[in-house]
Amino acid sequence: MTTSAATAGPRRGRAVGGLLRGMPLLPAVVLLAVFLAGPIAYCVYYAFTDMQLTGASGTHFVGFDNFTRAFGDSDFVNAVVLTLVFVVGSAVVGQNTLGLALAVLMEKAARPVRAVTSTVVIAAWVLPEVVAGYLMYAFFFQQGSLNAILRGLHLPQQNWLYTLPILAVCIANVWRGTAFSMLVYSAALNDVPQELVEAAEVDGAGPWQRLWRVTLPVIRRSVMTNLMLITLQTLSVFGLIYTMTRGGPGNKTETLPVFMYQQAFTSSLIGYGTAVALVLLVVGALFSAVYIRMLKMEED
Amino acid sequence: MAVTSSPRTVRVRPAADRQAVRGRSGRRVATGRVVVNGSLLLFSALYLVPLVWMLLASVNAHGSFKLTVPSPTGANFRQILNTDTTYRPMLNGLLMCGGGTLLCVVCSVLAAYPLSRFRSRLRRPFLYTVLFSTGLPITAVMIPVYSMFVQVNLIDSMAGTTLFLAAAALPFGIWLMKNFMDGVPLVLEEAARIDGANAMQVLWRIVLPLMWPGVIVVTIFTFIGMWGNFFVPFILLLSPEKLPASVSVFTFLSAHDQTQYGQLSAFSIIYSIPVVMLYLVLARRLGGGFALGGALKG
Amino acid sequence: MRTRLLAATAVAAVTTVCAATLSGCGSGSGSSGKTIKVVYQQQLNNSNKVQAGFLGPMVEQFEKANPGTTVKLVPVTASENDYYTKIQLMMRSPATAPDMVYEDTATINSDVAGGYLKPLDSYLNTWQDWGSFAAPAKAAMKYAPDGKTYGVPDNTDTRGIWYNKQLFAQAGIAVPWQPKTWADVLTAARTVKAKVPGVTPLNVYTGVAGGEASSMQGFEMLLYGTPAANDSLYDTKQQKWVVGSKGFKDALGFVHTVFGEGLGPSAQQALGANFQAAVGTEMIPQGKLAIDIDGSWMPNNWIRTGPKPWPQWQTTMGMAAMPTQNGQGSGKVSMSGGWAWSIPAKAKNPDLAWKFTQFLESKANSARWNSVNATIAVRTDVATDPTYLKALPTNEFFSALVPDTFYRPGLPAYTQVSSAIQKAMEAVTTGQSSVDKAAGTYDSDVKTAVGDGKTVQGAR
Repeated sequence: MTTSAATAGPRRGRAVGGLLRGMPLLPAVVLLAVFLAGPIAYCVYYAFTDMQLTGASGTHFVGFDNFTRAFGDSDFVNAVVLTLVFVVGSAVVGQNTLGLALAVLMEKAARPVRAVTSTVVIAAWVLPEVVAGYLMYAFFFQQGSLNAILRGLHLPQQNWLYTLPILAVCIANVWRGTAFSMLVYSAALNDVPQELVEAAEVDGAGPWQRLWRVTLPVIRRSVMTNLMLITLQTLSVFGLIYTMTRGGPGNKTETLPVFMYQQAFTSSLIGYGTAVALVLLVVGALFSAVYIRMLKMEED
Repeated sequence: MAVTSSPRTVRVRPAADRQAVRGRSGRRVATGRVVVNGSLLLFSALYLVPLVWMLLASVNAHGSFKLTVPSPTGANFRQILNTDTTYRPMLNGLLMCGGGTLLCVVCSVLAAYPLSRFRSRLRRPFLYTVLFSTGLPITAVMIPVYSMFVQVNLIDSMAGTTLFLAAAALPFGIWLMKNFMDGVPLVLEEAARIDGANAMQVLWRIVLPLMWPGVIVVTIFTFIGMWGNFFVPFILLLSPEKLPASVSVFTFLSAHDQTQYGQLSAFSIIYSIPVVMLYLVLARRLGGGFALGGALKG
Repeated sequence: MRTRLLAATAVAAVTTVCAATLSGCGSGSGSSGKTIKVVYQQQLNNSNKVQAGFLGPMVEQFEKANPGTTVKLVPVTASENDYYTKIQLMMRSPATAPDMVYEDTATINSDVAGGYLKPLDSYLNTWQDWGSFAAPAKAAMKYAPDGKTYGVPDNTDTRGIWYNKQLFAQAGIAVPWQPKTWADVLTAARTVKAKVPGVTPLNVYTGVAGGEASSMQGFEMLLYGTPAANDSLYDTKQQKWVVGSKGFKDALGFVHTVFGEGLGPSAQQALGANFQAAVGTEMIPQGKLAIDIDGSWMPNNWIRTGPKPWPQWQTTMGMAAMPTQNGQGSGKVSMSGGWAWSIPAKAKNPDLAWKFTQFLESKANSARWNSVNATIAVRTDVATDPTYLKALPTNEFFSALVPDTFYRPGLPAYTQVSSAIQKAMEAVTTGQSSVDKAAGTYDSDVKTAVGDGKTVQGAR
């Protein structure tokens, strides 16, 4: 094939050299262009049409109708709010903080305890998304494990999936996703120079102060990158919520991916659904832009 | 499964130092340790509850949400362990997700090298485009993908589905891999270059051996994602005998009004085995999760 | 070493290019000659292979009777919504369109509007058996804008009132019981509440979590019993959705009364997930529910192979038709769903598909299917067939409701209208809003969903 011939050939000038150096990108670029860029371009087109999967046969260009409809649709606004709650609650606060806390505690824990904790947390992470959703459903179900435990402790019980569904799905996402942050922070903490921490300890800094003044500033780049990745992953979480609640009760857990799915496939409004998907893409880009900015400010 | 018990990259602190620190504030540190260990164990126990329920329900004759097993039985497993329900979907899944993961990892490694090593005006825009596209729910693009697959006659083809799964996982794969590669110092490479090695040789002989943990992380990540992906194979495959396990498990699990919790749990366990195995096998080489650090310093 | 890497690059590139451009890599799935592809939904419940078990021998017989033909069955294992998506995608392109497809009556009109189905009139004109199908079932197959028929129904379900005779005896209500008006139903519920403590007098499915059960078993059983009847939700002549009608408020008022007076289950119970399963497998068998407005399929919960075997149900449970609001018209009302066989517009072999449809829908085969599937017959001659009547003791009663039954408007906007109904019900169930306010919200929800021009002010 051309690849081998080109790479094997002698170097001819800068331009050719640049092309050659970029050669390994080719398979990835071809795959992405054919299988993702093409369909995404189509999606952008669909978002400006009234395409339906059923119920109407023609497809017409409707301009920004789908977007104006979305912003006037109280269910869409509800979905945006829930998405933000879900991302901030389960990723930025939940997974991130819990992951850091676990990493910090595990550094100080006995070796077997560390092994047990990391195994359990990672086990939840490697489970397929739908299985995790199913287990969390069983956990929060009215006759489920959580209420059984609360009953045992003589604490008040709830019909969690009915009264506090968004909290339930947030906790579910924390349960499933914390391993990622834990692994990132365990690695990052490993790079914190022990001398710095001990010097701070000698100066009389308490554990909180050491964490705040010494550890966090050293690992801040890991924090930002971790936040960006878990934000993007959490934004597109669908299977977990769909298996647990299908977006309900009512639309109390209908985040943007679930809302998009309901519109595009349950109501067959492909045009409207893809418009919502594009909004989701923009939300993700905005979040990433903020994190990238923060990282850049560090660099300068 | 002591995955972090012997992290390779842990910096060994001089024992004497630690002794000195402990000596200074002796008892407080000791109680602190008890509190730390105790709270971690309690936390682990809580974390474990849903998993324990799954194990219990899978051997429970009367599926319920209770945390007990009145009459243990193997019937749930016996009922699902047949070709149609378990074996063939699992095999299909392994073929497609295995192939897709391999393709994705190979393409990411190749793509990451120029992105990590060579400066170009196109590099940043490319990387950001790739990064942002990870936020797109894949369900959104399935309608055009279906039309495209029909046109090029890839519909109902396991190979076509594998290619699409690989492509969908690529953005995240490339991004992670590039970051891992950034962590491999250039110095060694330059030495090899002076000896006359070309880019591919350098990648193969110098860079890859130093970033196996990164490759493993991407492999695990990609495989977990594909293994759980229900919608892509459901849309792109027509013949029931080609469908992977994710489709059957999704359809079972999303129908709560069924009362077969025992079978569902048994199936969930079987379905989770490949990912857990992959993790266990690869994590040994990984030395715990500590390798992730290299990639995620930004 | 170097070559291996190059090979890897090359292989990856080649596979990609080849896959994207060459058609040889995929496997074509068109049917040709004397072969037909038949698509149907395989239930999620993996032990429920009733339809596969029925169709398998049918195919064998058909192939034997018509040498040289091949019928390829393609089950799609999915929830209903995912099944709709899948068949709609398949029917979109000639390459993947099957020759026969199992259509839910709830979506058939929508798929006709999408241009996916073929009108069957030319076939039906020469098929004598078509005369034996019940009128409401035939009407549901007809697409109003062009007046053509697009499917042959093979089963239905009807809805009515289940009541517990033992609880009625305790409350001093005479059985058999047949209410004449809504007021009679409420009176009975009030009597149960007063005389038999610890029992839920009356269940009307409600709220968003109940999904379609709330809309259909709950609300529409009331709404279609108001004087506007078949035009109470959607005006078929004007092709517009009805808003602001008195009937809608009356139906909502009934729900409000049931939950406001404490005649129904607690709001938390009724609005929770899984309530339907709880009604069938717990509340009724445990004798905790006196009156339940529910479907003809309820005995499937209680038969030997069901999730809650309960042999005493035959002596304990009684059935009554749901009365219209004031006993007007025939005095009873029912709602129906069910499935039908259709032929996609892009089918390659519609003639053979029609032949197989005729074969499946013959009197004998229909009777078998309705018996094994425990569904209600749509052929009037099957409804009197002894094997069918013996299959389930309730078949006779629920088949008798078929002449008075209504089908939902099978339009794509229906799902949105249905969720608006569920929202309105939920609001009056919790007591969050008054009937008028909830009806007002429903009106504006429907207008947003279908567009202002697609609604009409209800006269009654």
